[in-house]
Amino acid sequence: MARLELKRVIKSYGNYEAVRGVDLDIADNEFVVFVGPSGCGKSTTLRMIAGLEHISGGEIAIDGRVVNRLQPGERDIAMVFQNYALYPHMSVAENMSFCLEQQRMPRAEIEARVRRAAETLHIGALLDRRPGQLSGGQRQRVAMGRAIVRNPKVFLFDEPLSNLDAKLRVQMRTEIKRLHQLIPTTTVYVTHDQIEAMTMADRVVVMNAGLIEQAGPPQELYHHPASRFVAGFIGSPSMNFLDARLEISGDDLVLVLADGLVLRVPEAKWARYRPHADEPVVFGIRPEAMSGTGGRAGAVALEVTVDLVEPLGAATMIYFDLAGATLCASIEPEHAPAAGSSMTLHLDMNRMHLFDAASGRAL
Amino acid sequence: MTLANASKPILRRDEAGGETVRYALFVLVAGLVALFFLMPIVWSIANSFKPAAEALADPVSLVSSAFSLENYRRLEGVGAGWTSYAANSVVVALGTVALTVLVAVPAGYGFSKFRFPGQTLLFVLVMATMMIPFQSILTPLFLILKWLRLQNSLFGLVLIYVTFQLPFSIFMMRNAFDAVPRALIEAARIDGASQWTILRRIMLPIALPGVATVAMFAFLNSWNEFLAALIFLSDQNKFTLPIMLVNVSSGIYGIIDWGALQAGITVTMVPCIVLFLSLQRYYVRGLTAGAVK
Repeated sequence: MARLELKRVIKSYGNYEAVRGVDLDIADNEFVVFVGPSGCGKSTTLRMIAGLEHISGGEIAIDGRVVNRLQPGERDIAMVFQNYALYPHMSVAENMSFCLEQQRMPRAEIEARVRRAAETLHIGALLDRRPGQLSGGQRQRVAMGRAIVRNPKVFLFDEPLSNLDAKLRVQMRTEIKRLHQLIPTTTVYVTHDQIEAMTMADRVVVMNAGLIEQAGPPQELYHHPASRFVAGFIGSPSMNFLDARLEISGDDLVLVLADGLVLRVPEAKWARYRPHADEPVVFGIRPEAMSGTGGRAGAVALEVTVDLVEPLGAATMIYFDLAGATLCASIEPEHAPAAGSSMTLHLDMNRMHLFDAASGRAL
Repeated sequence: MTLANASKPILRRDEAGGETVRYALFVLVAGLVALFFLMPIVWSIANSFKPAAEALADPVSLVSSAFSLENYRRLEGVGAGWTSYAANSVVVALGTVALTVLVAVPAGYGFSKFRFPGQTLLFVLVMATMMIPFQSILTPLFLILKWLRLQNSLFGLVLIYVTFQLPFSIFMMRNAFDAVPRALIEAARIDGASQWTILRRIMLPIALPGVATVAMFAFLNSWNEFLAALIFLSDQNKFTLPIMLVNVSSGIYGIIDWGALQAGITVTMVPCIVLFLSLQRYYVRGLTAGAVK
């Protein structure tokens, strides 16, 4: 069992607080991904868990034991670094056995563990090579091998795929996920790539400006973002946002956009949004909530002029101006118009989101 | 179309010809420059193997018809004999190398990978000592060595050389350690390695070119140093090779024995050349460490 608890964890550099009180409870064998833009505090939090950064405030506990003052080597963790951090003068086998040698493990046991890890990661043929003789993907595997040989309580990954090309990144993403299924271990994974976060995590933790914006399963974050920040960060292409005003018009609840365009709010959402009538709000709609075909209940038809068309194969992205902003819609390729032409776009208002204009919190 | 096609190979031949001429010119100039620098070395070595009479012959010739070890034999008669002086030089040079590396490696590691109060000031102070002319502090150094009862001692001379070698060596080692990514230290810490293990098993092997550079400079400088050795050593049996070279003279009027002098120069420079050539691969890498990522 290896539960990881973060209680009001703070990291400050002089007057600047990089991490401003993170509370998180990570269950045994859970795969948690920290995601957020550069400087949001995700890597700093990971490094505090690893013991590579001192904790300015709060408490970190692994398996119920507070590790604040423990050296990294005493925490029973393993970490995979962004640049792999393999020892260049040692062979793959030596890299993998180094940590076991520090534990004064018998040679036979070390060799057995290295062999087992190498088989798991399909790097058995590379054991005598130096890191300089390996490709990026192979180095990544060796870095993971170095982590799994010691059978740690917690795995830490610090943007491990960001040095790989796009194709290899997708492949390694799957391998890490497979490895977690094969060797279930509590895992904290840091990335700035929301697709990595969505595809790999049991739970995604979105961080912004040193705080957790929202933590939850990927689908929950996608469908029920807690803030405009999370809504904009999760999903690709990101959600479209328009300044609007929520108004009661007769029996209807409507959104009035900046250019006077009125969009009817579906009845199912009235109870939730009516208390915010006459308030300035931000209207959010995902590109995939817009379609070239109508017919859905709650859909609103809009006549738009398409500025740019990006065919991706499975879907086509179209860009158009609405109420002073540029919006993106993901539509069926067969309905894609040519750039410069007009088309009728159907907005699925059942999938609309509203955020408080001032705080950005979801309404 | 036909014309264009026909002219293409001619153009290519011209270009190839131009390239060959340029390359030949480059080889010629480079060869001349190399010859210019190699000549004194070749001259010394060649003269050291000539019979005494031929060393001063007029006109001079580079290569002698008679091969002779006479100059080397005469060198054995200078003072305590060249082998004693060579042994002293070896002791001083190896001692300087060992002590310099022993101090510069941990010092460079400390300056590179640790943060402590007054770090920059201390580093600047260490570097500033490079600007003090060696000759200007010979008297206080002599007094200190006398107080330590280390004057006229090879160990005392080693201490002097190490003192003057350290600023550059610490600077070199700091650069060498700076070039090692911090993530490697962090990975080793997570692997449970102690600071000593990190330095010994991770940092030092990676920073080996820097160590080689420091060792080579310490060796060459202490091997070739003359003034301090002349002043701090008074016993003829403890002299080093550069002092022996000054004393290579013959006859009651102190006429310089050119043949023996060339033999002495050869004996003195050969270890330096061998060391430089064998370490130059590391040396170049050490000097450029940290220049680019």
